[in-house]
Amino acid sequence: MRITLAWAALRRHGTRTLLAVLGVAVAAAMLLDMVMMATGMRESFRELLLSRGFQVRLAPKGTLPFDTDATIENASGIVRTLRSNPAIIVISPVLGATIHVPRGDRIVTSATLGVEPVVQGDYELLSGSDPIAANAIAVNDEFLKATGTAIGDTIEVATGYDPQLRTFGRSQQMIITGRVRFIYGAVDQLATAMRLSTLQKMGGVASSDDASLFMLKVRGGSDIETARRWIERAIPNVTVISTATALAQVDERLSYFRQLAVILGTVSLFVGFLLVTTLVTVSVNERVGEIAVMRALGVSKAHIVQQIVFEAVVISVVGAAGGLGLGLVTARYLNGILSSFPGLPRAIDFFLFQPHSAWTALGLLTVSGIAAGIYPSFRAASLPIATTLRQEAIA
Amino acid sequence: MFIGLLSAFSLFAQDSVVAAPSRTIAIDERLAADAGIAIGDRVIVSATPGSTNGDTVIVAAIVKRGADPAEIARSEYRIRMHLDQLQAVAGYGDRVDRFAVATRNPAATEKALAAINAAAFGFQAHRSRDIAVGTSKTFQVVSRFHRAIGVITIVASALFLLCIMLLKVEERRRDVAALRLMGISRATVMKSVVIEAAMLALVGSALGVAVGWAASLVVNWYYQGLYRTPLYFSIITPSIVTLAVGLSLVLGIVAGFLASLRLVRTPPLALFGR
Amino acid sequence: MTTVRDAGTTEGVIDSPRKNVVEARDLARDYAFGRERVHALRGVTFDIEEGDYVAIVGPSGCGKSTLLNLLGAIDQPTAGSVTIGGRNVGQMRDREATAFRLRNIGFVFQRFYLMSTLSATENVQLPMAEAGAKSDDRAARARELLAYVGLADRQRHRPSELSGGEQQRVAIARSLANHPAILLADEPTGELDAKTGADIIRLFGRLNADGTTLIVVTHDEELAGAARRRIHMRDGLLVDA
Repeated sequence: MRITLAWAALRRHGTRTLLAVLGVAVAAAMLLDMVMMATGMRESFRELLLSRGFQVRLAPKGTLPFDTDATIENASGIVRTLRSNPAIIVISPVLGATIHVPRGDRIVTSATLGVEPVVQGDYELLSGSDPIAANAIAVNDEFLKATGTAIGDTIEVATGYDPQLRTFGRSQQMIITGRVRFIYGAVDQLATAMRLSTLQKMGGVASSDDASLFMLKVRGGSDIETARRWIERAIPNVTVISTATALAQVDERLSYFRQLAVILGTVSLFVGFLLVTTLVTVSVNERVGEIAVMRALGVSKAHIVQQIVFEAVVISVVGAAGGLGLGLVTARYLNGILSSFPGLPRAIDFFLFQPHSAWTALGLLTVSGIAAGIYPSFRAASLPIATTLRQEAIA
Repeated sequence: MFIGLLSAFSLFAQDSVVAAPSRTIAIDERLAADAGIAIGDRVIVSATPGSTNGDTVIVAAIVKRGADPAEIARSEYRIRMHLDQLQAVAGYGDRVDRFAVATRNPAATEKALAAINAAAFGFQAHRSRDIAVGTSKTFQVVSRFHRAIGVITIVASALFLLCIMLLKVEERRRDVAALRLMGISRATVMKSVVIEAAMLALVGSALGVAVGWAASLVVNWYYQGLYRTPLYFSIITPSIVTLAVGLSLVLGIVAGFLASLRLVRTPPLALFGR
Repeated sequence: MTTVRDAGTTEGVIDSPRKNVVEARDLARDYAFGRERVHALRGVTFDIEEGDYVAIVGPSGCGKSTLLNLLGAIDQPTAGSVTIGGRNVGQMRDREATAFRLRNIGFVFQRFYLMSTLSATENVQLPMAEAGAKSDDRAARARELLAYVGLADRQRHRPSELSGGEQQRVAIARSLANHPAILLADEPTGELDAKTGADIIRLFGRLNADGTTLIVVTHDEELAGAARRRIHMRDGLLVDA
């Protein structure tokens, strides 16, 4: 009977109920988005870092991977040192540079990675083959489109551009052997990959044994922090970054978004709560006479409070359910905006949907619905029956 | 590359007095605070991490960080050295990354731009303003994001406002019914509701501006401390206030209009519940 | 159902003594209005026997409704006591009083006070649902009660679809839902026309004949005349009982 009365009360003022549900839905959508944003970036980045199983990264001292143009000298020596630790099972050195590809009267500039194709963790081969040979190059779709080339084509690849003389330092013919997707590649970024030794030679004497980054896999069961500390002691001219450290760095850099997520999420929850409280308060004030009659008939305070809280919870839950769909749509839109950050890996999502996000948002709104209904209903149910009935009769 | 070299520099404080006369550098306040370096301290600057082979210099100045958005969340330090010394330490030779050119006035800027680009061989001159636009893409993204959040907030507020006005107006249905039965016209009733809604919106938006201003102060205080920058993260301008108040007013009036329209369309006796 | 009893004549019949179902002793109720204190009841004493049909009459403001509220345990006396079925309802806490009202007292109001969003049968079932009755039992009793008051064919109608008299009859059926010891009615014909009021008066007569103890507060001379006993009040006191 309480549920019947609650439903009837909600249906009695359909427009008002619908507007409240819509308002809660928008608040719920925003809340869901903020919950997704608070955890999404971190989770997305973590998934990206661990996507190929590399748990530790070595970057030039004081920098983050590819944050600067700095390189690490004596790469081969570092590899030998790392191999001496049995806990380290895979070592992938990477050198980053810029190449220039003359195409008729224009020059196409692209980022390039020098890698060891057998152990690399930077790209996923989509078609063709890895750039195993010294003159092989693997490229992404953006590169193929920009240069108008295809797998099997031979291209001129140059490095060491001198802007004053407008000449290239070194160039060589290379064959496109594979089409790849770069895991850490930004949207619309042209990128290629070749053998590390090839790129080192093209860089000239200065960079003949340089690397920009080392990615390491640690043996299963070994402690990553122990390995990290060993590397720091053995190789002092690099910064050693475990996944945990990298996540902490990202957290610090993106702390603004997390804090914004918390603030906006709290505001959304508060707005939703305020809306439901206002609606319930007005609705209850309109029904004080009815409530007094029910009390006179013998309906307990607790049951009246339950009925009204049920109304508030229905608005909150239905609004939240609607907000879920709306939230996913707005999250996609907002993610599209934030994904256009320059240099951000395409694979990073700021808004990552995880079921617990939806449950968290729903749970918070349900609790706020209960809280919104309790005070006004309790107040109305506690009014003196006789006085209220007399006032209603006069009114 | 310049920045990369800078970040690869290592600074070593020296306790003992070195015989040869040392040149001076300026360091940023973050480095001074974190490394405990003061004016007058001697340090070694080297291009090789971990190396003590380098130039001994004296810290002559501590420099405030600029309000540069590009430096937000970057934890690298910055030092300023004499150009020739940096070129020697970094092995750059007689090279620089850029020249910065000051001109007398905007007309002179355009003339200089044209003259340099016509004569230059191997490099390009740009207006500083154009470079700023090009390098501020990150913050354009953040601005777009904020605008999107703002739009969503406005939609939610509009719905909320409409709901509240509907509730307020319905609370007084009997009063309105009595007025209508007395002969007060629909237009008069609607006007009074709309005026009330407009006043509520004005007062509410004034309160909102005050809260926003206070929040802006808190945001700037917090993030300036967090990122150790003099950059302002939030600025309340007259145009923003005008937009906020104007929008609130419009939304409030529309909400009041729609709510009162519903009410005056209902026959007075129905409003009494008969 | 309440038992049917012959309430027509008493001549020649020796009634067996009936127990008191209501006992009021020196009942007083004051209200504060700003700095003033209003003495709505100034010490009222009377008894009502089981099966009685009592009309409380008097001019406006004499304290009739206040007395009814105290009898119905929806208000508490400032002094004195009121006992219903042997229980002192004036001293009960809210929860206890609510539970007592649910199972022992039926209310009929001048303005009917039906739930506008519920149908006639749902209104009648409301007290039974609160008392924990099963759905089927509730529905069956509601049908029976609505048939008793002559509304068997109006069960699914909402109050807005019923006339004033029909609404009052639904309210009477509702008041009987949990087999109350007493039925209290505050100006039950106040909002009705003469003909409809007469129907309600007849219904009350039937209820009393079937054994229901009735206490009505009224200005209606016809209703007062239908009662077996009148209690006159003036200025918060009984004139006669």
